[in-house]
Amino acid sequence: MLAFTVLTAIAAPLDIAKIDTGMILPGRYMRRHRRPGHDYGEAFLYDLRFDETGRPRRDFVLNDPAYHEAKILVAGGDFGCGSSREGAAFAVMDYGLRALLAPSFGEIFQVNCIQNGILAVTLAEPVIHDLWRQLRARPGSALTIDLPNQRLIAPDGMRHEFDIGPLRKDRLIRGIDDIDVTLEHLDGIEAFEAKRRARLPWLPAAKRDARA
Amino acid sequence: MSAPRTLFEKIWDEHVIVVSPQGEALLYVDFNLINEGQSFLAFDQLRMEGRRARRPEQHLAVTDHYLPTINRALGTAGMPNPEIRRVVEMLDENAAEFRLPHVGWFHPDQGIAHVIAPELGIAQPGMLITCNDSHTATNGACGALAVPIGGGNQLRHVVATQTVWLKQPKTMRISIDGRLPNAVTAKDVVLSVIREIGVGGATGYAVEYAGPAITAMSMEGRLTVCNMSIEAGARIGMIAPDETTYQFLAGSKNAPQDGDWDAALAYWQTLPTDADAVFDRELAFDAARFAPMVSWGTSPDDCSPVDGVVPDPAQIADAERRRHVERALDYMRLTPTTPLERIAIDRVFIGSCTNSRIEDLRAAAQVLKGRRAVVPGMVSPGSSAVKRQAESEGLDRIFIAAGLEWRDSGCSMCNGSNGELVAPGERCASTTNRNFEGRQGRGALTHIMSPAMVAAAALSGRLADVRRFD
Ligand code: SF4
Repeated sequence: MLAFTVLTAIAAPLDIAKIDTGMILPGRYMRRHRRPGHDYGEAFLYDLRFDETGRPRRDFVLNDPAYHEAKILVAGGDFGCGSSREGAAFAVMDYGLRALLAPSFGEIFQVNCIQNGILAVTLAEPVIHDLWRQLRARPGSALTIDLPNQRLIAPDGMRHEFDIGPLRKDRLIRGIDDIDVTLEHLDGIEAFEAKRRARLPWLPAAKRDARA
Repeated sequence: MSAPRTLFEKIWDEHVIVVSPQGEALLYVDFNLINEGQSFLAFDQLRMEGRRARRPEQHLAVTDHYLPTINRALGTAGMPNPEIRRVVEMLDENAAEFRLPHVGWFHPDQGIAHVIAPELGIAQPGMLITCNDSHTATNGACGALAVPIGGGNQLRHVVATQTVWLKQPKTMRISIDGRLPNAVTAKDVVLSVIREIGVGGATGYAVEYAGPAITAMSMEGRLTVCNMSIEAGARIGMIAPDETTYQFLAGSKNAPQDGDWDAALAYWQTLPTDADAVFDRELAFDAARFAPMVSWGTSPDDCSPVDGVVPDPAQIADAERRRHVERALDYMRLTPTTPLERIAIDRVFIGSCTNSRIEDLRAAAQVLKGRRAVVPGMVSPGSSAVKRQAESEGLDRIFIAAGLEWRDSGCSMCNGSNGELVAPGERCASTTNRNFEGRQGRGALTHIMSPAMVAAAALSGRLADVRRFD
């Protein structure tokens, strides 16, 4: 997983509330294999970015060339609400975003983002509105997010603090996900396993060709 | 002497490897089952990261949700819908690539994961079992701690580490005292409990079902009760192992062999809840007051004894409940105060991990024997083994003679992932566990009940009291 420490990048203002996970990753993509070169980046907000004929909607913010390199999205309230589909966080990541700022998030979506190395933090609504105003005034402006110091530096130089739980912060900074955290206990797992096998030798083990 | 503990606590404690500073426990997973669902997300991610399955032999991939129940012999060619075929193929590919044992469409053990795990003796007392499906608690009937996990990241974690992080739930005991009246089944017991405590009534709890009526139940009945724990909000439901459990296990493929059997038995006998153990919540019901149940609404607690009537929202004081009932009756196209037995149905479905085991099929066949259904319907046994057993008993001929279709096993019309759907506006009497809006297909009107009650409905063309068919 990519580590997240200090990021300075173009930020895009997305002034729409309640963008749910079904908009972030439309249902028709949910049965699609995700592999390098064929990931969920295309699916991200597809119906907002493209019209029925598949042509980019010219008035949609992310289609403005000024935001093509954006790595930060300043979104509206309840971003990622709705169904718990985990693919939504993949779509955000595959599109190339590293950080999401919003007044509030769908809870499961927010956890899934952090699990995948995407910083998703809440900021007070007036701060979000102020950021939108600045970003619209100069499309393509950059923000700096300083995770170790839990600070955001707006285009106008203003600093805004944000909250994040110590565990999530530690994982993002170290670039580790929950498998990595667990594998820090690998010795304990192996010792546990050996003892359990010795004590309960009858526990079922399936065979690769169980047909036999 | 250690402090008295519940069945749940004994198994939980036994599996804790470490507890995080935030109070989440890292638990060892003895066995994990994997269905098609969203599992490909987990495998895609593992592939991108270059991770392998840590203990492949402690997993079983089971194709159940997307498999059609006809044309099985054609293999994937018998799946005309390319999206459905793709989901089935993805599990085939992922199981092969990650070297996981797999029960696919070709396999003699094929069936619904929650039916075959107990049947194969994979679910044993004292084990911790996970599966990327909300009805995993079914396996708790075997005295196991069986927990549902998410199909994406949580499954990925179990495959990569053979462990799972969980917050310890509270404990609840639901005792069913006394004896069940004639024609009242395990399904009626669990529906009655859910009706009483509501769909959120056990949220946050690990439930243990106990009491004389549970002890008297067969394994099939116990599996039905534990299956529907999630319909009361509980992710975990379990029943202490006893003679019934041991006998059921003894004949299974994965039963402890020879010398191991005695050691296993001695261990299993230490598991039941200690006499002085304390639960966070205790509920007791009198079995004698239970009756055959049917659902009328769009939530599993929207149910009533079959001799009742459709509720009248105007009589409901609680505003939120009233709004729910109004909406449910609107969706279900029902008029308040209609006697439930006057509700005409269009089809029936007998199947699903709730009620598709051999005893369920026998119960339905007993009602149908020598009679004709007046509506179409299908019977999908819970596993290929159940199918073979039923055929050896001649149950298939009873269903076919009654005019019902005899299918292969799978989830089928329970949620229609495989394309076998109830048509919009069609009313179906079903042995499944969920009557949510659209659960069996967009606009489908589902009434859930026991297998014998579905059989009675098939013969009557309306919801019917099975006690009239004795
Ligand atoms: S039978 Fe129904 S409830 Fe059971 S696992 Fe399949 S879809 Fe889920």
